[in-house]
Amino acid sequence: MAEFNHARPTFFNLLRIEFPVGAITSIGHRVSGVVLALCTPVLIYLLEASLRSAQDYEWVRALLDTAPVKGLALLTVWAFAHHLFAGIRHLLMDIDVGSSLRAARLSAWLVNIASVGVVLLGGGMLL
Amino acid sequence: MRGTPSGLRAWLLQRLTAVYMIAFVIFLLAHFATDASKSYELWRSWMMHPEASIATFLFFTALLLHAWVGIRDVVLDYLQPMIVRLPVLAMAGFSLLAMEAWVARILLLSP
Amino acid sequence: MKFFIYRFNPEKDSTPCMQHYDIALQPEDRMLLDALVRIKAADDSLAFRRSCREGVCGSDAMNINGRNGLACVTRIAGLKEPVDLRPLPSFPVVRDLIVDMTRFFKQYHSIKPYLINDEPPPEKERLQSPEERSKLDGLYECILCACCTSQCPSSWWNPDKFVGPAGLLQAYRFIIDSRDQATRERLEDLNDPYRLFRCRSIMNCTEVCPRGLSPSRAIEKIRLLMVKESI
Repeated sequence: MAEFNHARPTFFNLLRIEFPVGAITSIGHRVSGVVLALCTPVLIYLLEASLRSAQDYEWVRALLDTAPVKGLALLTVWAFAHHLFAGIRHLLMDIDVGSSLRAARLSAWLVNIASVGVVLLGGGMLL
Repeated sequence: MRGTPSGLRAWLLQRLTAVYMIAFVIFLLAHFATDASKSYELWRSWMMHPEASIATFLFFTALLLHAWVGIRDVVLDYLQPMIVRLPVLAMAGFSLLAMEAWVARILLLSP
Repeated sequence: MKFFIYRFNPEKDSTPCMQHYDIALQPEDRMLLDALVRIKAADDSLAFRRSCREGVCGSDAMNINGRNGLACVTRIAGLKEPVDLRPLPSFPVVRDLIVDMTRFFKQYHSIKPYLINDEPPPEKERLQSPEERSKLDGLYECILCACCTSQCPSSWWNPDKFVGPAGLLQAYRFIIDSRDQATRERLEDLNDPYRLFRCRSIMNCTEVCPRGLSPSRAIEKIRLLMVKESI
């Protein structure tokens, strides 16, 4: 005779739970935020170098021209665009603009697509 | 801790710093779209101008405060055990303070 | 029609498992609950809560193909097969599709879901204008089914400290009730890093509410009131 199992399991398989478009925008907002926070020291370093001397300024420009840096720059551009657009969406919803379900779904799609669009544009310009 | 009004304060700080940063970025993008200073001298003289350097310093201050609220939110959500939470928050706080000091040196204190 | 249902019997199982069912439905079976009743007729061991069968009691809330909903008002037509039925996410499972709602109700009680008015009660009712009464629309209709709270990631990470969408919607229902006098206390009670401010407006709550309510909007309105009160 099996013992009564007092431990209550939970259903929490994230692969089996639906994530609506707003949830995708939201996790993207969080991930992009963390990426930007990690990039900040690099950004400050580049700012400092670009102001220190003419040689350092040229060094920064040359660095931003190399392939691996361009790749990282694109990631940062996505992070920046997504975080900015999703942030604006949040600020508008804070003042009750676009907080109905239909409007929120639409704005979520727009944010997701626009940030990818910016990356493609940026990628096109960098190449 | 129900006494501390840190819920609303943190949220308001996050929103207000965001608004300032959006305004700054729009201004910056507009400036560089119309007047992309290609040379070192032009870049430096523009950035070290009192208005630009102070506005940029404020931008970084807003950025670091905004990042603090964001990082704190992530930690409060995912890192519950105090033994991990406290060191992570402390490290994040100190790193942000260090970056603030660094930016102050670059923009306000250099000749 | 094919179903894939979460099974857990604490008297026999050490871990939950998923079970396949293939049930012949009748033309009069239109809602998911009808199908579940047929499945139970074939396999009596399947356990699930149900009562009103019309979307007002909230008993049969469950996760349907990944998305929370009420079985009695979810149409069978349009459900992708095999229909994946699981208990509400992150809630302790008592048996099969039945979850322990204790924590959910604890958060609800914590926001003091009753009118607080110290003035002596009038002879008849405490009066309210139609405009004041209309402010309760979209709030009083909540049936506490927990679809929203169990789909909310912030509730997943901090179920004991974050009040959750249902609790916060009810908090707002009392905050903007013109007959309630504890507005300031209610707002202060929610002002800590967790009770309300874990909410990031992910909006899963509004997506899944079977009554079409918007907890995310109520939370947003509470925040604006908090700002107004503080400045």
